[in-house]
Amino acid sequence: MSSVLIKNESRLGLKLVAPAVGIIGLLVIYPILFNIYLSFFDVQLNGTKTFVGMENYTDLLGNPRYFHSIGVSVIYLIGTVVGTTVLGLAAAILMNQEFRFRNLARGLILLPYFAPVISVVFGWQFIFDPVNGIYNHVVVDVLHLTDTRENLIGNPDSALFVVILFDIWKHFPIAYLLFLAKLQSVPKDLYEAAAIDGQNAWGRFWHVTLPELRFVIATVVLLRIIWNLNRFEDVYLLAPNVETLPIFTYYQAFAGIVDQGVAAAISVIQLLVLVGLIWLYVRKVLKW
Amino acid sequence: MMNKRSTTQSVILYTLVLALVIFCVFPFLQILSTSLKHPIDWGNPSLIPRVLHLDAYKELLGLMPPKEADVPASVQRLLDNPALSAEKKQMLLDKFSSGGDVFPFGRYMLNTFVISFVTGICSTFLASLAAYAIARLRFPAQSLMANGVLFVYMVGGVLLMVPLYQMSVNVGLASSATGTIFSLFLIYLIQTLPVAMYMLGNYFRTIPFSLEEAAMMDGCSRVEAFWRIIMPLSKPMLFTVFIYCFVIAWNEYLFASVFLKQYQDFQTLPLALQTLFTSKNAIWDRIMAASMLTLLPVVICFMLANKHLSGGLTDGGVKG
Amino acid sequence: MKSKTSLFVAGTMLVNGLLISQLTHAATVEFWTAQTQTDRLQNIELLASTFEALNDGVTVKVVAVDENEMATQMAAAVAAGTTPQLIEVNSEIIMTLGEEGIVDTKTHQGVIKDIGKNRFHKGALTTLTSPSGDYYGLPYHGWIQGIWYRKDWFDEKGLAAPNTWENIETAAKALTDKANNQYGILVGTKQDSYTEQVFTQLALSNNASEFDAKGNLVFNSPATLETIKYYKELAKYNPPGPQNWRARDYYLQGKMGMFFYSTYIMDDLALAEVAKGSLSSENFKELSGGTFDPELVKNTAFAPIITHKSAASYGTLSGLVALKTKSAEDTKATKDFIEFMYDPASYITFLHMAPGGMNPMLKGIAEDPAYLEDPNGVFKLYGADKMKQIVSGFDDIRSFSVVKGKTFPASGAIFAKSVIPRMIYDVTIEGKDPQAALDSAEAEMKAIMGE
Repeated sequence: MSSVLIKNESRLGLKLVAPAVGIIGLLVIYPILFNIYLSFFDVQLNGTKTFVGMENYTDLLGNPRYFHSIGVSVIYLIGTVVGTTVLGLAAAILMNQEFRFRNLARGLILLPYFAPVISVVFGWQFIFDPVNGIYNHVVVDVLHLTDTRENLIGNPDSALFVVILFDIWKHFPIAYLLFLAKLQSVPKDLYEAAAIDGQNAWGRFWHVTLPELRFVIATVVLLRIIWNLNRFEDVYLLAPNVETLPIFTYYQAFAGIVDQGVAAAISVIQLLVLVGLIWLYVRKVLKW
Repeated sequence: MMNKRSTTQSVILYTLVLALVIFCVFPFLQILSTSLKHPIDWGNPSLIPRVLHLDAYKELLGLMPPKEADVPASVQRLLDNPALSAEKKQMLLDKFSSGGDVFPFGRYMLNTFVISFVTGICSTFLASLAAYAIARLRFPAQSLMANGVLFVYMVGGVLLMVPLYQMSVNVGLASSATGTIFSLFLIYLIQTLPVAMYMLGNYFRTIPFSLEEAAMMDGCSRVEAFWRIIMPLSKPMLFTVFIYCFVIAWNEYLFASVFLKQYQDFQTLPLALQTLFTSKNAIWDRIMAASMLTLLPVVICFMLANKHLSGGLTDGGVKG
Repeated sequence: MKSKTSLFVAGTMLVNGLLISQLTHAATVEFWTAQTQTDRLQNIELLASTFEALNDGVTVKVVAVDENEMATQMAAAVAAGTTPQLIEVNSEIIMTLGEEGIVDTKTHQGVIKDIGKNRFHKGALTTLTSPSGDYYGLPYHGWIQGIWYRKDWFDEKGLAAPNTWENIETAAKALTDKANNQYGILVGTKQDSYTEQVFTQLALSNNASEFDAKGNLVFNSPATLETIKYYKELAKYNPPGPQNWRARDYYLQGKMGMFFYSTYIMDDLALAEVAKGSLSSENFKELSGGTFDPELVKNTAFAPIITHKSAASYGTLSGLVALKTKSAEDTKATKDFIEFMYDPASYITFLHMAPGGMNPMLKGIAEDPAYLEDPNGVFKLYGADKMKQIVSGFDDIRSFSVVKGKTFPASGAIFAKSVIPRMIYDVTIEGKDPQAALDSAEAEMKAIMGE
């Protein structure tokens, strides 16, 4: 190709990416930098700013609620990541079997993932209603597991587990899809060879399926961490009393005693963690 | 492997499948059931309503029969004001009796549809240009941009909440409804652009370059080759990406709540539903009916796009 | 490409269509109301439209804002320069806004002059008067709170009416049967205003208060501590977990014996009466854990006054507040609209949105025969005597913010920051030590007053 052509091509390329990259630069890259800048100010809702140096950061590091929310986030991350991965994998193995109505079942289990958060949280709240909900009805009246009805969503400690269950329910289908795609590409003769070696179903899973899925599992885990670190709506709408980091940030920024400078500082710290994780993803996962 | 299944194995398999499906579907059944129950029936744990109660849907969809002629005496007296012309009086009376815009569900649905649709179209269009360039053309900083997209795609909305709000206040967009909606549209655009670019970029790479080459041999320019060859070939994927962007915007709550709270006429469904829930009504039937109706378009969209969606999602390691 | 462009254009036009409806008018009254219930909004919309029809060129835009969010939303609106012209909200929030200097007290003065100062109930007007004698708001309607209880169940078990601390606790205990999903009482345990309202009435009956007559903070007292401990006892008979007014649904379903509520409930109880008409109770006979009682209104009694060390009736009033605007036209239109809202025809229409719940603040309205004929027949249903009993609580309304005829706006600020509800939540749900919770609540109150 002549240099003119190369030049034309690069000019065309720049022209085509310009609108998208421009918008992203203006509304993602710039805000990230602006956020770092804001984190050194006392910021009011109306935009009034007073320079306070590192005060937002020192305030934050002296705030037990911040560390509490980090703790909540860690439990949330561990629960959801393990849950979605395990259930996703189990579902993929199950749906990879042949049985009647398989297509229907495959379609139905994708429903939670597709559904808007807002359209399912009220249903979940109703299920766990302490007096009228079906959860307490089953646990107390049908199975007689305990005598006392619990308000699982009302109490922040148990609400955390409901929120984790909700996230698993809502997001295991995406893990399932990734696993299923990979499972379908595992050559059948690997299984047959293992069977000839006298491996039972468990052995085949352990020696064939898992090694084949290694990379996908790593991908799923990393992606779950990255997405769930920022997850806001699922938690806030179902149980606003569960203070994960994003919820804590939201309360700092938009509710009660508004302190957007501190909210900015939280975001900066969280962003650093996120950048580390994304770097890991790009370096390790994408190179595989 | 499959034909060697014993009866026990079959039973276990079907039980597990059934359990999984019930786990996934149960909350939807609960929503549907409650939406069809009379308030007096809410304490009843059974999923089957004792009396089918469609009022909630009728109310939301504006199908309630107009209130009977008995306008309350106080309202009658209010409207008997001699300063009101007969014409205006009738207009007010009609408005009062219709009761249609009490919770203007239709309006919220239209708001949500418009902003999601426009977002979907713009995002798919801009992303297809950029994705093509990144997938096919060589230009400076190309790989930086390719990785940059991925990075941006993973930075969640929560992290940008404060700076974006402050930016729109500083620019003055937050003080008018028009400006606020424009801000929100831009925000939805950046929430969907990276994922759209990512999905389309991956797809464009699967189209053999030889097709474009052949077209260019025939005298097409690069741009023409893109429009005549690549775009038509990508139609199903473009549609999938559009649906995906549409649904992201349709479902969005965080930024809508930050920006639109004050502009009630322009609220989107997620925000309106949350407001309905905190209003002082015993509203389980209505909130559940509204949930069903919000869910429906999304389910339809995904049914339309399902064929390509699963593939697209797994290629992209997609947001979720 | 062509079809894509045309879709794009169509989309843009749709957006524009949405925006154009936002035309500017000569004068605008943006009216924020704390009445978020949809059928109430319908009435307010009607009032607004009627006013528009009577006044060419004036637009009244009704916006419903939840009471718990009013303070935050106002802050955001002031920040963004989109302050509404008029709001309708409870007195605590009014006093806070007044102290922030965004209230148009001149308009209030004008309205009171036009209507006549002596036509307002004196106590109501005092509640909204600033320390310096300005009117931070105009009293519009008020409710009183008390305990609503199942008279039939009380009679069955030989329980005395829940009007003293001892009676309340005994009844709550007797009516609780958690194994059968039955709860004795509802007191607020969530961090919202309902909790503060329940607590205030109990505290006042124990002579506990936030301020003394000189304005000193006296919240951290043995009387308050005793109230908190008593509250914690009552919360044992609550439905599980943190609860707020929403749990009154359980009373309507026959799963709860009594609950603190304002007179607003009268309307909801009457709904059961309506349900009786449209459904045969046969349908609901076998509801698990609950029964549908078509005679709920008849079986419900009201105890508006609670006595311990003193008799306390508690209520709150809501007022109309004009806010400062830049445009003289808007200010004028706002004043006209307020006076229109006090006109008997419109006033009664408004009050009838919640018969019994919203009581008039102007003398003479309650005697208006039109007032007694509410659309739901609530006044008829309850009978004149019960109505009299309910309104009797109004003569001696007490609150934290008025001590011996003096108002302390700081009480409003404390209310807005939910200090008391958070204290109650910590004690009843988190099991925090009452004295420790009281100490930190006091510290927070001091911080708020210091600002």
